[in-house]
Amino acid sequence: MTTVESHDGKRLLEQLGASDYGKPPLGCMQCGLCAATCPLGPAMELPPRKLILYAAAGNLEPVLSSPALWMCVACYACSKRCPRGIELTEGLWPALRDAAMQAGIQPPAELQETFQNVLKYGNVLGKSPRQRLDWTKGLDVRVLDLSREPRPVDVLWLVGCYPSYYPRNQVVARAFARILTELGVSWGILGARERSPGECDRMFGEEGLFETLVEQNRELFDKQDFGKLVVLDPHAFRALQSFYPRFGAWYPVQHYTMFLAEHLEQLRPLIVRPVEAVVTYHDNCCVGRRCGCYDPPRELLQLIPGVKLVEMARNRDDSLCCGGGGGGMWLDAHIVAHGGQRLSDERVRQAAASGADTLAVSCPYELSRFEDAAKVTGLEERLKVRDIIELLAESMELGERSVS
Amino acid sequence: MITSDETLRIGVYVCHCGSNIAGTVDVEALTKFAEGLPHVALARHYKYMCSDPGQELVKRDIVEFGLNRIVVAACSPNLHEATFRRAAEDAGLNRFLVQIANIREQVAWVTEDRQEALEKAESHLGAAVRRVARHVPLQRQFVRIVPRAMVVGGGIAGIQAALTLAEAGREVILVEREPSIGGHMAMFDKTFPTLDCAACILTPKMTAVKLHPNIKLLTYSTVESVEGSVGNFRIKVKRKPRYIDESLCVGCMQCIDGCAFTRAKFPNAFDQGLGLRKPVWIPFPQAVPPVPVVDPEVCLQIARGKCKQGCVEACGERNAFRFDQQERIEEYEVGAVVVATGFHAFDPSVISYYGYGKYPNVYTSLEVERLLNAGGPTSGKLVLRDGSTPKRVGIIHCVGSRDANYHAYCSRVCCMYALKLAHLVREKTEAEVYNCYIDIRAAGKGFEEFYNRVQNEGVQFVRGKVADITPAAGQGTSAEGGLVMKVDDTLLGSIREINVDMVILAVALEPQADANQVRRTFGISCSAEGFFLEKHPKLAPVNTANDGVLVAGACQGAKDIPDTVAQADAAAAKALALIDAGQIELEPNTAWIEEDICSGCKTCINLCPYQAIRADEERKIAVVDPALCKGCGTCVAACPSGAARQHLFGDEQISEELEGLMNYV
Repeated sequence: MTTVESHDGKRLLEQLGASDYGKPPLGCMQCGLCAATCPLGPAMELPPRKLILYAAAGNLEPVLSSPALWMCVACYACSKRCPRGIELTEGLWPALRDAAMQAGIQPPAELQETFQNVLKYGNVLGKSPRQRLDWTKGLDVRVLDLSREPRPVDVLWLVGCYPSYYPRNQVVARAFARILTELGVSWGILGARERSPGECDRMFGEEGLFETLVEQNRELFDKQDFGKLVVLDPHAFRALQSFYPRFGAWYPVQHYTMFLAEHLEQLRPLIVRPVEAVVTYHDNCCVGRRCGCYDPPRELLQLIPGVKLVEMARNRDDSLCCGGGGGGMWLDAHIVAHGGQRLSDERVRQAAASGADTLAVSCPYELSRFEDAAKVTGLEERLKVRDIIELLAESMELGERSVS
Repeated sequence: MITSDETLRIGVYVCHCGSNIAGTVDVEALTKFAEGLPHVALARHYKYMCSDPGQELVKRDIVEFGLNRIVVAACSPNLHEATFRRAAEDAGLNRFLVQIANIREQVAWVTEDRQEALEKAESHLGAAVRRVARHVPLQRQFVRIVPRAMVVGGGIAGIQAALTLAEAGREVILVEREPSIGGHMAMFDKTFPTLDCAACILTPKMTAVKLHPNIKLLTYSTVESVEGSVGNFRIKVKRKPRYIDESLCVGCMQCIDGCAFTRAKFPNAFDQGLGLRKPVWIPFPQAVPPVPVVDPEVCLQIARGKCKQGCVEACGERNAFRFDQQERIEEYEVGAVVVATGFHAFDPSVISYYGYGKYPNVYTSLEVERLLNAGGPTSGKLVLRDGSTPKRVGIIHCVGSRDANYHAYCSRVCCMYALKLAHLVREKTEAEVYNCYIDIRAAGKGFEEFYNRVQNEGVQFVRGKVADITPAAGQGTSAEGGLVMKVDDTLLGSIREINVDMVILAVALEPQADANQVRRTFGISCSAEGFFLEKHPKLAPVNTANDGVLVAGACQGAKDIPDTVAQADAAAAKALALIDAGQIELEPNTAWIEEDICSGCKTCINLCPYQAIRADEERKIAVVDPALCKGCGTCVAACPSGAARQHLFGDEQISEELEGLMNYV
């Protein structure tokens, strides 16, 4: 990313133009499509359009000190639509945040704590690496820890921070382990050595920390002999797919929905039990809007007998973000304090309005965000939030009794 | 090998071109060098060779010193080869015994070091001298030009071009794909900025086309193939069956009343599907020709073979119906073609956040033109889907234009037609109108004044690109009712939600869906965005890369009616200048077959891109038609026995030139 040596906003935008993050912001025509598209735009003192306007005028001070700078949740809606093709999400926002931090402006405290956790412990939750394997306790399939027993595998599964540590997500991790085993795939994990790929750190302008994580992970991956990386976290997918190669770290990687959709024919005979549910699918931003990958998750859901798939009014390109990306997971307090809403609350209302009784997700952050949102909005009784993996596992009779 | 022909007397002329050449190349030294070259009888340098005294110098020397070859070291042969060829001819020398050495563009302008420049110039000049020694006299060849033109596309561009050509007394064949001429202009209600009724100014021209004795009108027809080249195109036209004999139909339209379908039930494409038609129909009342067309997909007689044929009964003794009519191909010979195939209106359904096709009261501008038009499906009443009159109307500019995701270019006309629609909507409904724009582009005669007028009429202008259209609160996605436009009002600096009950999308003008196919048929090029490419953006705006094929109107780029008409007249004038010349000189560099060597293998025949070679089956040889040959050299390179040769590009000429180039480096 661009290193900013001065507070000259025009120069910052020029530097961004010279980098390979989309078209340069200098070509902005101030149409405001980004501002009105941004789900948090109305709450931003300086929505993206004005960030560019001020910066282009050379006036970076109000930009860097604006609370708006810490409100982007990296949903890609503005980048996707920008008529001038400007890459705001991966280009402008991280560069401005980097510039702010270099200018001594502190990001919200919760976020700083997360950065510290990643740096110290290799995970966003600040848990001990030794507990990384806790989710496998009592699991009825064999989990190969490649950091202890290196051997060639087809799939190196990066379990991810939330599925490793967070009880609600551990259920999903266990289900995925059973599905992989049932499919007969050779797979392994990195056990206690696994570290966060650093996806949100990059998006948050913590370029230094991100580079450190790329190096650490590269060292880990290079010791292993695997066909591809498979991840549960869409943000990790994006980081490995498009940020790591910028540092020369190329690894074939798939989000689990892509991986499983490639195995539809192998899955089909294993799907035995109907799951009676009206399901709506929430497109996560990184696999969906960022990569245009909308069909695989739906193909997986339609594989399950009994599932009736309905769409929310806003889907695919127009899907509303859960608010958890790009560090957003730790920004709710900051966003609400500055007049923004929790996007997950709005999204569960939209899910309920679609007539669904189940909101299917494919991102570890969304599970807890939407379950919380369902409680807050009083929709808890009407709307279950389940990962696609859980629905598949249930239909394959691989689910856990506690979550059927 | 240098020829030993002692009769050769080559004259060399080095041009200073003011200081253009002489400033870099030592012209005196170059002249001295030339004097030492084989067969050079005389070498001179002069300030401006292309001037009259310069040319006179050449002429006088030819006569006085018996020169029989001329080399001019000057600018590109593109500029003055013809000048010196003519000068030589005036002095009695065959014009093809002249060779140009380009020492300006290829030497003086691209070389800094004087010594280096002199060496390069020597090498070029030496090559030209060696080459010209091998030149032989050639005859100039001319072909007759067919004094007739074809205009493809019957919108306002094609109509205008055809009328101009016809009024000049030339025969014109006007080909139109749809059942009627008129194009997009016939769909519009009013035209900006004067608010002229579109039909009132267009239909007289349409009628003039119909009545003009010099215009042969082929509607419901498309160009299938184009053969030949400038001056002599042979064009096949596919004529779709109307199932009605145009020569017998009087346009009474009684067949439409008589049709077995008592009610119209099929979408009328001319009305953008908002109106309905019967299987026998006419796009609009003033259609030219005023002849209905039968839709074979839904006509009971054609589709199922049984119908009481009320249409035929209504037609009566005029007896114009022909249910057995077949598609047929007609061939026309023309000297020039004007391509005026127009544009396609962008389909906004691909922009998901505008909800076109999802929310019934989101319309395209073209649909609203039809609603406003007295001849349209609502007889000119602007109504919502439920028949009620809109009270608040949003007009969104730049839909599909100025957007890297769709078309990066500005469509030029949308701002003005959006202003016109704003005016008409207010005039007809008194609705509150919001025009959401990025920039207002009102650069044209009377445009800014019209913008100002519309502002003063109370239309609200919101500077910002609308980000979302959603149903108003409390209404489902398929609601018939209100909509909300979410937009960053960039001048107010706040994000607004504007309630409206109708949204009009000012859609882009894009190339026709089959533009690429048309481009290939006519041998022309497209620019990156897909519009047909003119030969030069400033100096040859209606010519194309294919001589004799001209372009006019929105097929060349988005433009309004005045610009289209001006361009159509320009194309007609160019076509006229061409076909009125009577004959056209062929390039001399055509291929020919050395008959004694040709084995009749026909390799060249299949390779020739211009169908210029045919087989003489009796003599078992290939024969080149110089009128069709473009001098591409493909046959020359491919001929296995070396029988295919090319004037001015003989093996000995090329190898001498190369040797000359190498020897004097």
